[in-house]
Amino acid sequence: MSNTKQPISNRLRSLPVASGGGLPSKTPTRRSPLPAGEAPPLPLLHQALHPPNPMGDPHLLSSAHPAAAAASARKHPGPIDERFSDPSPHITKRPRVAADAAATVGSAPYPEEEVRSLVIMAGGIYPLARAEALRGLAAVLEKAGTGCCDGAGIVECCYGCAVELMRDEDEGVRLAVVRLVGLCAQKFAARMDVDAKSDGDIMDLIFQQLSSMARDMCTKVRIEAFGALGKMQRVSDGVLLQSLSKKVIKTDTMSGTIIKGQKLPPKLKIPCAAGIFAHGIEDEFYQVRTAACTSLGALAKFSSQYAEKALDLLMDMMNDDTETVRLQTLQALFHMATYGYLSMQEKHMHMFLGLLVDANALIRNAARKILGLVNLPKLQMFKSAIDCLIASLEKNPEEQDIYGILFSIGKNHGSFSANIAKHLAKEIATASDGELILDRPRVKALIIVSISAPFSDDKHKKLDIPSIIFSHAISLLGKVSCALGEEVNQDSLLSYLCHKGGMPLWGNRSVSVEFGESESCKVETVEVGEQIENTAKATKCLDRVLVMQSVESILQTVEGAWTMRMSCDVCEARTILRTCKEELKVLAENSSGSIGAFLSFLCEYLDAIRLVVELWQLIQLDNSYTVGLTAPDILLEKLNISVRRMECCYAGLNRGLEVQVMELALLANLLGLSNIGACSKAVLSKLVWIINRLEGLCADGSCELSDFSREIKKTFEADHIGSALIRNIHTSVELFRLKPTTDFGALKAISGVLQVCDNNSENPQSYICGLPVGVSFNISLWNISSNHRLWLHMSIGESVQHTFLDFSSFEGDGEVKSGSMVVPLNTTPMAHSFVLRVCLIMECYGGISSNQERHGGPSDCVVQLSDELDVYFVSTGQR
Amino acid sequence: MSIECLVLGAGQDVGKSCVVATIGGRRVMFDCGVHLFCRGRSSYPEFDRILAASGATDFTAAISCVVITHSHLDHIGALPYFTEVCGYHGPIYMTYPTKALAPMMLEDYRKVMVDQQWEEGQYSYEDILRCLKKVIPLDLKQTIQVDKDLVIRAYYAGHVLGAAMIYAKVGDAAIVYTGDYNMTPDRHLGAAQIDRLKLDLLITESTYAKTTRDSRRAREREFLQAVHKCVSGGGKVLIPLFAVGRAQELCMLLDDYWERMNWKIPIYFSAGLTIQSNTYYKMLIGWTSQKIKDNYRAHNPFDFKHVCHFERSFINNPGPCVLFATPGMISNSGGFSFEVFKKWAPSEKNLVTLPGYCAPGSIGHKLMSGKPTRIEVDKDTHIDVRCQIHQLAFSPHTDSKGIMDLIEFLSPKHVILVHGEKPLMAFLKERVESELGMPCYYPANNESVSIPATKNLKMSATERFITSCAGEQTEDNLRKQKLICGSNMAEANTDRKLAEGILLMEKNKAVKILCEDELVQVLGMERHLVQNEPMVSSRTGAAGE
Repeated sequence: MSNTKQPISNRLRSLPVASGGGLPSKTPTRRSPLPAGEAPPLPLLHQALHPPNPMGDPHLLSSAHPAAAAASARKHPGPIDERFSDPSPHITKRPRVAADAAATVGSAPYPEEEVRSLVIMAGGIYPLARAEALRGLAAVLEKAGTGCCDGAGIVECCYGCAVELMRDEDEGVRLAVVRLVGLCAQKFAARMDVDAKSDGDIMDLIFQQLSSMARDMCTKVRIEAFGALGKMQRVSDGVLLQSLSKKVIKTDTMSGTIIKGQKLPPKLKIPCAAGIFAHGIEDEFYQVRTAACTSLGALAKFSSQYAEKALDLLMDMMNDDTETVRLQTLQALFHMATYGYLSMQEKHMHMFLGLLVDANALIRNAARKILGLVNLPKLQMFKSAIDCLIASLEKNPEEQDIYGILFSIGKNHGSFSANIAKHLAKEIATASDGELILDRPRVKALIIVSISAPFSDDKHKKLDIPSIIFSHAISLLGKVSCALGEEVNQDSLLSYLCHKGGMPLWGNRSVSVEFGESESCKVETVEVGEQIENTAKATKCLDRVLVMQSVESILQTVEGAWTMRMSCDVCEARTILRTCKEELKVLAENSSGSIGAFLSFLCEYLDAIRLVVELWQLIQLDNSYTVGLTAPDILLEKLNISVRRMECCYAGLNRGLEVQVMELALLANLLGLSNIGACSKAVLSKLVWIINRLEGLCADGSCELSDFSREIKKTFEADHIGSALIRNIHTSVELFRLKPTTDFGALKAISGVLQVCDNNSENPQSYICGLPVGVSFNISLWNISSNHRLWLHMSIGESVQHTFLDFSSFEGDGEVKSGSMVVPLNTTPMAHSFVLRVCLIMECYGGISSNQERHGGPSDCVVQLSDELDVYFVSTGQR
Repeated sequence: MSIECLVLGAGQDVGKSCVVATIGGRRVMFDCGVHLFCRGRSSYPEFDRILAASGATDFTAAISCVVITHSHLDHIGALPYFTEVCGYHGPIYMTYPTKALAPMMLEDYRKVMVDQQWEEGQYSYEDILRCLKKVIPLDLKQTIQVDKDLVIRAYYAGHVLGAAMIYAKVGDAAIVYTGDYNMTPDRHLGAAQIDRLKLDLLITESTYAKTTRDSRRAREREFLQAVHKCVSGGGKVLIPLFAVGRAQELCMLLDDYWERMNWKIPIYFSAGLTIQSNTYYKMLIGWTSQKIKDNYRAHNPFDFKHVCHFERSFINNPGPCVLFATPGMISNSGGFSFEVFKKWAPSEKNLVTLPGYCAPGSIGHKLMSGKPTRIEVDKDTHIDVRCQIHQLAFSPHTDSKGIMDLIEFLSPKHVILVHGEKPLMAFLKERVESELGMPCYYPANNESVSIPATKNLKMSATERFITSCAGEQTEDNLRKQKLICGSNMAEANTDRKLAEGILLMEKNKAVKILCEDELVQVLGMERHLVQNEPMVSSRTGAAGE
C-alpha cells in the first residue's frame, strides 16, 4: 500500500489538487456516487482511510476469489475506484512495508492502485472476471489524463496487460482486449502529439496486433477490431498498404523490433496485418463489413498511396448484397472525397456510374454527392459522368438536386465544362427552331454544366463560354439558382446572366456589376467554406482536420482584412470580417467538443476585431470629445463585453490564447482611453494589471511579448499618468498585429441554457399583482465548475432582480449539469400583464473588474451565459 | 500416450481422402473417399493397412467410428464399399446435409463405375442405401460421446453445403480434422468457424498451399462487368456449371445485380439443376450464410426473383438472356451445355463463362488453354468460336493465408498437411514451422506419423506447500507495490511466479507435491547433509609437470 502511513492532513491536501488538476479523481465510487468535480465530503474520506473491516492483503484477496470480485464488478459496471474497495492493511500488521511506502510516496497516485489491482484481477482464472478487469482498466484509462507522466505509465501498463490476454480462450476477454488496445492506441497517439515522434513503431505494432484480432472467429471481436483499426493514427505507410493486400509486401517490417527492451512475441513477426481489409470486406457478417468499410475510408487521410488502393477495395463493395454496407461504403468514399483523397480512375467508372441509376434512391443520392466532390482526370470520364447523371435525371425527374450536382461537377472541372459549353453552343446554333427543346433534361443539364465553368477554380485559364448559353440559361433561372444554393439571390443572378448573355434587357449595369463584385468578394471568403458547408449539411459532423484547414484559411483572410484596415478600406474589411464570422459560425454549429469551443471563441474574437476596426474608424473620424452616450461609447462597451466573454466563458485557455485575449483587452482599454481623452484611475490600474499579466504569461519565454505590448509598457513606465499614452495612441495602435493561434488545447466553452417550463405568449403564467410569484426553470450548464458564481438576471422593464443560482444539487458529469428549480420573483408590477426577461449571468473574477460589490447582487463585472428568455405573465384577474 | 496418424489417402495428393487417427487406443477414420482419376480398387484407400496396424481381424473391431466431413466424392465415395464390401459395421457420422446429398453424389459415381466397366470394387445401388441407413447424423457443435472415452464434435467449415470440421478427443488428447474448408464466405455459405481449442494435432487440407488469392469482391466485380457488358449489348450468357454450390452462388449474385439494376432480362436454369439442388438449399437454410439465415423468413433467397421457367425451344429466342446449364466443363460427348454452346458460340455478342477447373479433353479445357477460333467436335462437325470467354475464379477452398490463419488461431502442438500437392505442401510446411514454430508433417499415402499427446495428471499438494506459495506471492506483491509508482507501472504485468517444491510419486501412482522440508518427514528418513569441497587443480602444479 503506497499511501498507508501518509498523514491524513497530507492526503486531504492532496485530494482537491487531484480533483482540480490532471489526475482524475472524479470517479463515481462504489459506496456513494459523488457529484463529479467535487472532493468527497470528510466522513466518507475518513471511512476510506480507516476501513471498517481490517482484511489482509487486498490483492491476495482479489486474485484468490476472482469470481467474487467479478460478481461485484458486474454489479457495478463502469469504473471501480479501488480506493474504497481496497482497505489498507493495518499498519500494525506490517510496519515494515508501511514505513517503506511512506518513505517513497509523495502524493497518493490513485489510478495506479486501481490499475494494479485490475491487472492482477485480469490474470485470474475465471474468464468473466478477466473480461471485467479489462473493462475496468479501460474505464480507468478513459479518465486518465495523458499529459502527466503518471498517465503515461498507466497506458503502458494497460497495454501490456491487454497484449498478454490477446490470445485468451474466452471471446468476452478477447473483446475487452480489443477495446482496451484500441483505447491505448488513442492514448499513445495523443501523447505523441505532445512528445516528439519517438516511437512510431508502437503504433505499427498495435495496428498489427489489432489486425490479428480482426481475424478472430468471434464476430463481435472482429467488429470491434475493425472499429479500433479505423481510429488508429500515425501508422506507417508500409503497414497500411500491407493491410490492403493479402500478399506479403515486405518481410522484414517487424522482425526483431524491440520495444522498450521487451522482445516481441514471435507471432507478431509474421505480418499479421496482411490483407486484413481484404478479409474484412468479404466477411460473412454485414456488421463486420460495415466496420471494415468505415475504417478503410477513415485511414485514407494518412496516405495517398493507401487511399488509391483502398478505393479499389471500396469500389468492389458496391456489389455487396446488403444495402447497409453499400451505403456505408458510399459514406466512406464521401469521407475520402472531402479529404481530397479520392482519385477516381477509369476502371472505377463502370461500377460507380452504375450507382447513379441504382434502384435505391438513397444509394443514388449518396453516389451523386460523391460525384459532386470528386475530381475526374479525363474528359471522357467527365462526359460519361454527365451522361449518367442525365440518364438518372430522365429516369427520376423528381430528383432535382441533380442540377446542383451538375453545377458543382462543372465547377470542379472548368475546362471540361467549357468544352461541353462549346459543343452545346454549336448544337444550339445548328438546331432549327423548336428542335432544341429546353424542357428536355439533357439540354437543361448541359446548360447548367456550361454556366458553371466561370465559377471554376482554375481561373488562370481563360474560359470563354459562348454568350448564347447564358441567354438560354435565363429561362432556367429557377433551376440555376437552385443549383447554386442559397448563396445568391435570384435577382442578382438574373442580372448576371443577362449581363453575360449580352442582353440589355435588364440594362441596369450597376446591378450586374455589383453582382459580379459581390460575387468576387464572396468567392474569396465564401469559397473556403463552401465545400465544407455543403458537406457539413450532409454529414452534420465535421472532421477536425478539415475544420482546422478551413479555420486556418479563414484566419489568413482575417489577417488580410486587418492589414486592409491600414489602407483605410474599412468598409471592405468589415464585410470580410463579418463573412468570416458567419463561416466560422457554420463550422461551429457543426462541431463539438474543444474544437467547437475554439470555433465559438474565434467567432467572439472576430467580433472583437470587427468592433476594434469600427471603433478605430470612428475615433479617427471624430476627434472632438462629446458628452453623453455616443456611438463610440456603445462600441466600446460591446468590445469590452466581447473581451470579457473571451476571458471568462472559456475554460482551459492555453497560454497562446490568453496572450491573444490580453492583448485585445489592452487594445480595448487603450481605445477607451483615447475615446475619453483623459486617464481615469480605474482604466490606468486596469492597464497596469493587464501589462503585468502579459508579462507574467510571457515570463517563461514560451510566448514573446509583442511589439505592441512592449511599446505600451515602455510609454507607461516613462509616464505614470498616462498622458503620453494618449498622445502616442495612434502609433501604438498601428503596432497592433493580429496573430491568432490555431493551437487551442483542451478548450471548453462555458455556457448555459435556460428554459422556462410551460410558458409562452399564448400560455402565460398567472400572478397576483404585487405578490411574489415563483417561476420554474430548467437549466443546463456546460463546463461549469463549482467555483463559478452564477446568477439569474431577471428584469421587468427597468427593475432588475438578481438571484444567486445554487447548482450544487444539479445532476450530471463534469461536462453537463442540469436541473430544474423554482425561482421566486419578489415583486410583481401592478399591471395586467408583463414580460419578464431572464438570462443566466456569470461573475467574472479577474483583474479587470473594478470589484465594486453591489449589495446582494453580483459584482458589476459579469458575462451573459445564456440567451435572454421571455417569460409571460398575466394577472389572475385577467385570465 | 501418443497419437498415431495413418494417412490412407490424400497424402501428398488430392483425392481419396482418408486418415485414420489412433488416439489413446481409439481409432477414428476421417473421410472415406475415392480417387477420381483412378479406376477399380486403386481408387479406394488401402483399408487392409488398418488391420495390419491394429492387429484386429475385422474393421468393426479395429475402428471406433467413421466420420465423413462432406459430400464430395473424394471424401465419401468409398464409404459404401468400406461398409458393404469390406464389412465395417460400426458407427458412421456425417452432418445432416451431407447425409441428404450423399445418395445423389454416390449414385452419380456408381453410374460412372458402371460406364467405365470396372472389373472390381463396384458397389450397387442397394449398397448405397444400406450404407446410408447406418449413418448417424450430426449437428453443428453437437458433442457426441461415441464411446466411454471418445468424443467428437462438428464445426462449420464452409466449402459446400454441410461441410464440417471434426474435433475428436480422447481423454486429454484432442485433434481436429478439417476436411475441406473455406475461410472466406461466399454468397451462400459462411466462413469456417471454430472455437479456440487446446489441440495436440491439427490435420488440415492444403489444396492452395502456395496461392494467395485477392479479394473475392474483385472476382465478383469482373464477372458482373463481363455479364453486364454482354447483356447490355444484347448478347446471351452461357454459364455451364455443376448442380450444387457454385450455381446457387452465381445465381444469387446475378439475382441481386438484376434487382439493383432493375433489369427484366430473363435468367434461366436448365432443367434438373433447379428443382433438385435448390430444394436442398431451401431445406437446409441453417447451413448457409448469415445473410440468408437472417433474411429467409422474409424472402428465401433460393426463390430467385429473376429466374424464369425454361424450355428447350428458348435457346433460339432473340434478345439477351442468361442460362445456367450442366455439365460444368462442356463435355464433348453431350450434355445440355454442349448443345447450347454449339448454338451460341458463333456470335461475338455472346459470352461463355468457364468454371475454375475443366478436365483435359473437354471443350472447356480447350477454351481455357488459348483462345481457339474453331473447335473440332468430330471429323465432320466443328464449331466456330467467336463468343467472349470469361474464366470464373471462384474456389470453395481456402487459400494459403486462410490455412495459416486457421493454424494460427487454433495454435495446435503439431500440424499434419493432407489434400495437396507435394511441392506446395513442402513450401507450406516450411512456413508453418518457421513462422508459427509448430512441427509440421506431410506424410505420403500409407505413411504413418506418431506425435506425443497431452496427458494431464491430477496431483495433490500438501497444505504446507500451498501456504508457502501463497505467502511468497504476497510478499512478492508487496515488494512490487513499492516499486510501482509512476514510471514503473509496466512491471505490474510480470508477476508470474515460480513455486519451488518436490514432486513425489507414491507407490499407488498418486502424485503429490510438497515442500522441501516435508520430504524427510514423508519418507520417514533422516536428513543427511553432504558437504562438498571443490578441488581446484592448481596451475603451478601443472606448470611444474
